[in-house]
Amino acid sequence: MSFEHCMRCTVCVENCPVAKVEPRFPGPKQAGPDAQRFRLDGEKSVDAWVNYCSHCMRCQVACPYGVEVADIILKARLKYSKEHFSPLSSHLFANAYHLSKMGSLAAPVMNRITPLPVFKQAMGLLGVSDVPDLPEFRFLSLERTRRSKGRGRRVVFFHGCHLNFNRPDIGRKAIDLLVAFGCRVAIPRQQCCGLPALGNGDLEMARKFALKNASMLTRYVNRGFDVVYSCPSCGLTLTREYPGILDVPGARKVAENTYHIFEYLLPLVQDRLDAKGLRSIGRVEASIAYHVPCHLRALGIGYPSVGLFEMIDGLSFTVLDNDCCGLSGTYGFKKRNRETAAKLGAIAAGAVRETGCELVVSDCGACRIQLGHYAAMPAMDPIEIVADAVSSGPLANKRRTLAERVASLFPSIKGGTP
Amino acid sequence: MGEHGYDVVIIGGGVAGLTASIYLAGKGFRTALVSRGDPACCLSTGCIDVLGAHEDPMKGIDRLPRNHPYRIAGRRTVIDALEAFLGLMEERGLPYRGSLGRNTGILTPIGTTKTTCLVPITMEASSGFTTTHIHVVSFKGLRDFYPSYITSRLANTSVSVFDAGTSSTLGLATKFDEPSFVDDFCAWLSGLELPPGKIAVPAVLGLKDPKAVLQRIRASTGREIFEIPTLPPSVPGIRLFRALKDAFLARGGHLYWGNAVASVETRSGQVEAITMAGPCRPSRAHARAFILATGSFVGGGLFAQRGSVRETVFDLDVKVPGPRRDWFLNDFFSPGHPVEASGIEVDSSFRPLGCGLKNLFACGSILAHGEIMRHRCGHGLAIATGSAAARACERLLS
Repeated sequence: MSFEHCMRCTVCVENCPVAKVEPRFPGPKQAGPDAQRFRLDGEKSVDAWVNYCSHCMRCQVACPYGVEVADIILKARLKYSKEHFSPLSSHLFANAYHLSKMGSLAAPVMNRITPLPVFKQAMGLLGVSDVPDLPEFRFLSLERTRRSKGRGRRVVFFHGCHLNFNRPDIGRKAIDLLVAFGCRVAIPRQQCCGLPALGNGDLEMARKFALKNASMLTRYVNRGFDVVYSCPSCGLTLTREYPGILDVPGARKVAENTYHIFEYLLPLVQDRLDAKGLRSIGRVEASIAYHVPCHLRALGIGYPSVGLFEMIDGLSFTVLDNDCCGLSGTYGFKKRNRETAAKLGAIAAGAVRETGCELVVSDCGACRIQLGHYAAMPAMDPIEIVADAVSSGPLANKRRTLAERVASLFPSIKGGTP
Repeated sequence: MGEHGYDVVIIGGGVAGLTASIYLAGKGFRTALVSRGDPACCLSTGCIDVLGAHEDPMKGIDRLPRNHPYRIAGRRTVIDALEAFLGLMEERGLPYRGSLGRNTGILTPIGTTKTTCLVPITMEASSGFTTTHIHVVSFKGLRDFYPSYITSRLANTSVSVFDAGTSSTLGLATKFDEPSFVDDFCAWLSGLELPPGKIAVPAVLGLKDPKAVLQRIRASTGREIFEIPTLPPSVPGIRLFRALKDAFLARGGHLYWGNAVASVETRSGQVEAITMAGPCRPSRAHARAFILATGSFVGGGLFAQRGSVRETVFDLDVKVPGPRRDWFLNDFFSPGHPVEASGIEVDSSFRPLGCGLKNLFACGSILAHGEIMRHRCGHGLAIATGSAAARACERLLS
């Protein structure tokens, strides 16, 4: 729906995290549909305040009339960036993929340098904020260690940058879960989804990433594969921005066959439980605060991780979906957004702490970095919780690997009983 | 396409839909709530109007026309539903006050009286505002709140302005969530030389725990303090909505937000499934029962065309008061335009008449003959019929 369908009810403003704490941002109604009436193609943008938008999309999810408030603001930001000189930090974060790739390649060195005050000062000169800490890089990234696995339903796993370069351990657990419930998982070479470039005003680079990913995924979808992602922001870009603002040919078909990992697994797990007459997939003794990422809400697929949590014995969870964590991908890593991100981080972390839980869980890597920092507690991916439950539960793969079978023949190798 | 299975799917995330969802999820049914977006409740004062047109709402119910939704639900159900609501709000830390047997009057931002029944605890001290001195505290630069409207109407009022460094209701409410800010505000209040009486502020006393903020200011100044509802963004409206939505999540309900219903599947007198349009791709939800709570014209449940009114999800029969020339009164501000009586007519189990669908129920402002503006019964009607439809649905499911 275009700006003309806006009836100015203000529901979007009520949902805007930035407008709550940054008085210089006039809020999504004014930055979006209201100002859109005055934006002309031939005239240079003067509304610098659109750059305060963190693109969490809460306004768009809330709009009862379906006005694409966040898209209007995003287009205004792209127009603004095209017509004005972008700060260095925007160029840096648009290239998050390339920088992470280098970070991963030099991981042992990078992980020692990034926490140093001198590094932070240098990054500060480039416009990068000093909190929270940059995530650690892993040399054995997913793309470096990728290989197809399993048998059954054909799935291509879109891992995204965070799991690839920073948390390949979660990526491997995700792949193992898919394999455990009857999938043959392919992990083809893939690029950044393009959202960091899009969010930092570089439409061309975003489109370049999108075209490469879409043509790769189209080949798989045409061969009967489903696409599965675990990062909500990557998922949103694949299913909404590729066919939408990035206008990638063939993206609609890819989007129709693309699923969040737990949206995809839920019916498979349910079938397996029904077949075995079971009610739970396993046991995890924990109480968790589940922070719903803004982009998961924007996907409009409900909160699929909750469906899995309900199948775990011993797990108590509180669903929190009122607050944005404030990091919003690369937004909070920029020095000029430092205050806003810190205030929002403290609000969201406050809600987490009030639950009295010992652990915060979220599907989004950025949310985990931010909430782990501000709530000062461990932050985990739902994949880790579910994998933990399955590995200890009745559905665990009882077949031993070759190495384990060899080891069991020679108990002395492991120094004990097999 | 994604596929979901539930016992019951509620369409519409307003007060009626949430009330029904909370009830059914609380009974252990697998419950999903689908909503296009945030409800009109978020823009409301947060007060529960039960029947503003009568001094005693409960007695007034018996004087309503026989086809009014309150009469269909019955007085007992209305009372039970509102008492359950009071209990629920106590549980969520947002207590409501008031008596079902007597309406109360609270101060509006233009110095007039709003008649309502149940008010959030932050507005409790507003009743009887004409009998004592009221000192109105506003905030520097606050948009859409002009205390001079109040002082020009009421002689027993005075005003001062606090500079909080932000000028929106939500910005202020966020500040009031910080204890240190509340302390600064209290210190400033204590420095004012005020005549004996109460303090009134626009409704910005925090989003998280307004009860605690209220108590803190009361303890520090030794005075009663109350909130005056504002134009949207309305903090008390957001609090009410969040309290209900969080209660639903806490009972294990599943939310599908930002989803319009694209199509419905019916077979042999039953609704089998709905397809949610979704912002990215559609998904399907099948269930044993469905509750329609999409609201009237503002909520999008009803859509007025040139000469008719359409129900937007199931294309149900809509009761309309005659041809278009009879829909409106000449005076825009006079309450009770006949078109307000439009909506879905239901049987005693809140099932829409004439569609033959046995597992479909309707509640809230989409119901015909509600005439919410005329009877001033908005949220009350939503709570009562939401609860009644949920109970009827429960009987079908079990």
